[in-house]
Amino acid sequence: MHLAIESASKAFPGVQALDNVSLELRPGEIHALMGENGAGKSTLIKIITGLYRPDGGRLLVDGREVSFQSPRDAIAAGISAVHQERNLIPRFSVGENILLERLPTHRGLLDREAIHREARRYLDLLDRGIDTRAEVRTLSVAQMQIVEIAKALSLETKCLLMDEPTASITEHETVALFSLLRRLRDEGAAIVFVSHKLEEVFAIADRVTVLRDGRNAAIGEPMSAMTRQRLISLMVGREERIVERPQRTVETDVVLEASGINTAFGHRDISFALRRGEILGLYGLVGAGRSELARAIVGDIPVTGGALRLKGKAVRIRDMHEALDHHRIGYISEDRKQEGLILAHSIRENIAVTIWKRLAGMLGLIAPPAEARAVLPYVERLEIRTPSIEQTVGNLSGGNQQKVSVAKWLAANVEILIIDEPTVGIDIKTKAYLHELIHEIAEAGTSVLLISSDMPEMVALADRILVMHGKRLVGEVANGRRYETVSRAIMNRIHAVEEERPAAAE
Amino acid sequence: MNTIFRRLLMVEWSGLLAAIILGAAVLAWLSPAFLTEFNIYVMLRSFCVALLVGFAQMVTLAVGQLNISVGALGGLVAVLAGGMMEKLGFPVAVAVPLAIGIGGLAGLLNGVLTVRTGINGFIITLATASAFTGINLGITESIPFYDMPPSLVAFGSNRFFGFPYLLIAPIVVAALLGLFLARTVPGRHLLAVGGNPQAAELSGISRDGITMLAHALSGALAGAAAVLAVAQLGSAQPTIGADWLLLSFAAPIIGGAALTGGHVSVLGTTLAVVLIALIENGMVLAKVDPYWVQFVLGALILAAVWLNRWRAVRTGMG
Amino acid sequence: MTDDAIPTSAPRRPGLLGASAQFGLFAIVALLWLVFSTLAPGFTSPINLFSIGRSLAIDIVIGFSQMVVLATGGMNLAVGSIGVCAVMASGFLLQDLGLPIPLALAGALALGAALGWLNGVAIVRTGVNAFIITLASASLFLGAMLILTKAVPYNGLPPEIGAFGRMRIGGYVSPLLIIALAIGAALYVLYRHSALGRQILAAGANPRAAAMSGVPVDRVIVISHTLSGLLAATAGLMIVARLGAAMPSVGGEEWLLPSFLGPVLGGTLLAGGSVAVVGTIIGAALVTTIRSGLLVLQIGNFWLQLFLGLILLAAVMADRYRGIFVERRSMGRR
Repeated sequence: MHLAIESASKAFPGVQALDNVSLELRPGEIHALMGENGAGKSTLIKIITGLYRPDGGRLLVDGREVSFQSPRDAIAAGISAVHQERNLIPRFSVGENILLERLPTHRGLLDREAIHREARRYLDLLDRGIDTRAEVRTLSVAQMQIVEIAKALSLETKCLLMDEPTASITEHETVALFSLLRRLRDEGAAIVFVSHKLEEVFAIADRVTVLRDGRNAAIGEPMSAMTRQRLISLMVGREERIVERPQRTVETDVVLEASGINTAFGHRDISFALRRGEILGLYGLVGAGRSELARAIVGDIPVTGGALRLKGKAVRIRDMHEALDHHRIGYISEDRKQEGLILAHSIRENIAVTIWKRLAGMLGLIAPPAEARAVLPYVERLEIRTPSIEQTVGNLSGGNQQKVSVAKWLAANVEILIIDEPTVGIDIKTKAYLHELIHEIAEAGTSVLLISSDMPEMVALADRILVMHGKRLVGEVANGRRYETVSRAIMNRIHAVEEERPAAAE
Repeated sequence: MNTIFRRLLMVEWSGLLAAIILGAAVLAWLSPAFLTEFNIYVMLRSFCVALLVGFAQMVTLAVGQLNISVGALGGLVAVLAGGMMEKLGFPVAVAVPLAIGIGGLAGLLNGVLTVRTGINGFIITLATASAFTGINLGITESIPFYDMPPSLVAFGSNRFFGFPYLLIAPIVVAALLGLFLARTVPGRHLLAVGGNPQAAELSGISRDGITMLAHALSGALAGAAAVLAVAQLGSAQPTIGADWLLLSFAAPIIGGAALTGGHVSVLGTTLAVVLIALIENGMVLAKVDPYWVQFVLGALILAAVWLNRWRAVRTGMG
Repeated sequence: MTDDAIPTSAPRRPGLLGASAQFGLFAIVALLWLVFSTLAPGFTSPINLFSIGRSLAIDIVIGFSQMVVLATGGMNLAVGSIGVCAVMASGFLLQDLGLPIPLALAGALALGAALGWLNGVAIVRTGVNAFIITLASASLFLGAMLILTKAVPYNGLPPEIGAFGRMRIGGYVSPLLIIALAIGAALYVLYRHSALGRQILAAGANPRAAAMSGVPVDRVIVISHTLSGLLAATAGLMIVARLGAAMPSVGGEEWLLPSFLGPVLGGTLLAGGSVAVVGTIIGAALVTTIRSGLLVLQIGNFWLQLFLGLILLAAVMADRYRGIFVERRSMGRR
């Protein structure tokens, strides 16, 4: 199948997810689709599969313009996909999930034997260990991912879109998947492959299209002519100049100390110390358990063992409310739409949420002018671009939204601020600005735990960098501000663990 | 021992079955009247309408919706059926399918309004419930239709020893519904939409169409319950359905239905209705205040919800 | 949505669409008044105005008792049960125990608040949605009340109670209406100007984000349910004053529709995060007006249910399409 998207655009309230994006997919190729988080990859996939309808642009299948009203139309046109979200029915058997589109029947009733026989055929291509009769909810995450891939394969379409299919499966399964994809390609299938892992893309893709901030940074360039360095610069955008900062001297008094912490999420024996005014980096790949550690600190995930000490005193924090009110800890979530902001409320309310208690006077009442006075300085300081503080946050751009979610915690005047992926999906100017800001608040004495998977950001900001892998801390790297040295040191820690692991696991 | 007990608790209807056996044993021991043919007949008869009412709610819960209007819809269908037979002289064989069909259409209306407007099904069915009741009262001015065809009344009251003929209907419906949900494509699609709407949609299942189907089915089942109620009472009372709301949720939820959709149990719902019938019967036999039924039903729902929760936490599959 | 849908509207959806919804509702009420008073001259007689005002007071407070829970994104199907429990508690305390009136009323209100608190705690502890918990507790509360009272009404209340219910200020204003409006004013201040009210709305709009911003979401939900119970009890006591007796048949499921009608007609979102105090009052006025008008026109109560159902449908659909329109317009501006 030959598939082409020409100048597709898609806007959501407050964000232009895609802006004139094109992609051309030929029969018999594996086409990588790359970009940072929030670059628009998933939106593009959802347009091709009929889940979203583009605001503008054309979609051509074998040269004919088509318009998908629903995923049904896309399937009928011969396009199947593995989406990023879990798209299985938990209470259904593996077999039924794989064949959900076209459950085989016999005299009007489901033919269970046929279901399992058919499903087995596709599942065996990837993993013989999964029982087609098991309920999906009893499977592990990796097994679910395999089932999803088998489901997409079972449609035997000539066009296959895979949005991070390898995110949670093992090396071994990835190898099996790749040889399968190559075979399908050689049989003439057109495959889109989305992954964050550069090694995988270089291993399997024939051409690559890169998105950056919802626009094309590259369209269908051959992988043979692509270098790692160039691909990264296409994704990140080289105009990004990270300001060199001198190394800082940090005070020695420890504000937050974790010793041997275990959590319900599965962290084991986590120990570290955060000092006053320090920016402590926490680096790790996706799925390493960084955000979850932050959540455990603020009480959102139960701490099951070890001790957390604040200024030397052992504490037990049960929720964010206690973290803020009793211990002056703030947490800027990476998921600003779900956790960071109340999109339907105004800028004023979103910022003031952390300080209402403080603003309230007699009878718990808040004087509106006092609230505005408390909020305005942060709107100005962060240069949040809005006609008024009464603007609904949902109507702001992504960058301005992120500024609001930061402003809220600046207003709260906390002693410890955990910042989770502060600049994902943010334009470059805002990013530089936020970096400056994080530096400033640390200088002013706030201790910052910075979580980021953006290595240059980490190197530019952190004083020390903790490396997390597989829910454990696997090392600490002093940040000498020399990008090559530091990033190599970090990756070495991660890979050292990776290499030990297969031996231990199997 | 402990682990066997635990495992039994994991099977959703095990607790219900145990409660039913225990309850029946206690009642048989305490009251000689319990195991008499007539008492069994009375109990089974009260079970018939209740089961269909439970099913009417169960199919909306399956798709992740709810239907506040089951009772109002039932009441409307009951008086329309009565009116057709008494005032228009329709034979039973015409009036009954027509009445159930009207129930289905009214349910479909709920579904269409919910899907097309995108408004919470709760508010839509709350509003249509009021409208259905209004039409019911407007037509009848609260006066029942008494003159029902003898064949229908006979069906509603005759019995074979302790077995009321009326019971045939819910047994057939339960079997068909079980088959529909477990073994047919639309039935599986219905549960798929309830279990993970987005996944179902991505698999090319029409979420809107299935939601409307569930509402229509709910209406038809409520209509069938109403017809049975007319047969059982021997008259078409406008008050039929007025007390169905709680029951309609109690049965599927005690039977283990997931409130979030995607999981219901025909067997569980049936056992739940048996348990409720048993409790009501026990209270009658013990000459307890009838008000206790209300209290106990509320307590049972809370207990069932708590048990489901506990089970979800135990298995780590919340 | 409406001019006092507190979180978002007033300042930021500049006037036109927001205010027009409530103005539209108000216009419908005014139109109905015109129609009814033309068709039935008795409609605007002082005695009928008094009686409308008294019913309105009760409808408003019932609406508030639902509104405060809708604000958190939940619902309370037990408002009627709690109301009637408070009714019978007041009867018991006044007639059987012979407590002084203020003490007995306080006791009944406290019972309402306690039952609401139980709902809130059950919801927060089990994590089960408010619909099921309050459906079950409605049955539980009502059943317990009937078991304890044997459904026997209390007819021998102190005469002051009935006298208060019949009292007319300035010829046709019931003090109950003044109480209802005062409660409205207090709620308005709560949601608009207090830290607690803001936290409630934040928790209702996005519980996860609110929790991660340090709002004690569980506590806020329990408080809202307690408040709902208190308001339901207040409505119950107003009915006691109107009837001069405590009847076991006044609450229950009958309150369900009116409790949602007022807030939803007035523009309170079911999704949580917004309340419309003034809207709820106008919504309740619409309900009361129709009920009274149909009564005066002798159309009878039979069609009332149909009208109320259709109005609710029309209102939510109008609101829905207005919402879509506002969305489109704001997208277009970008």
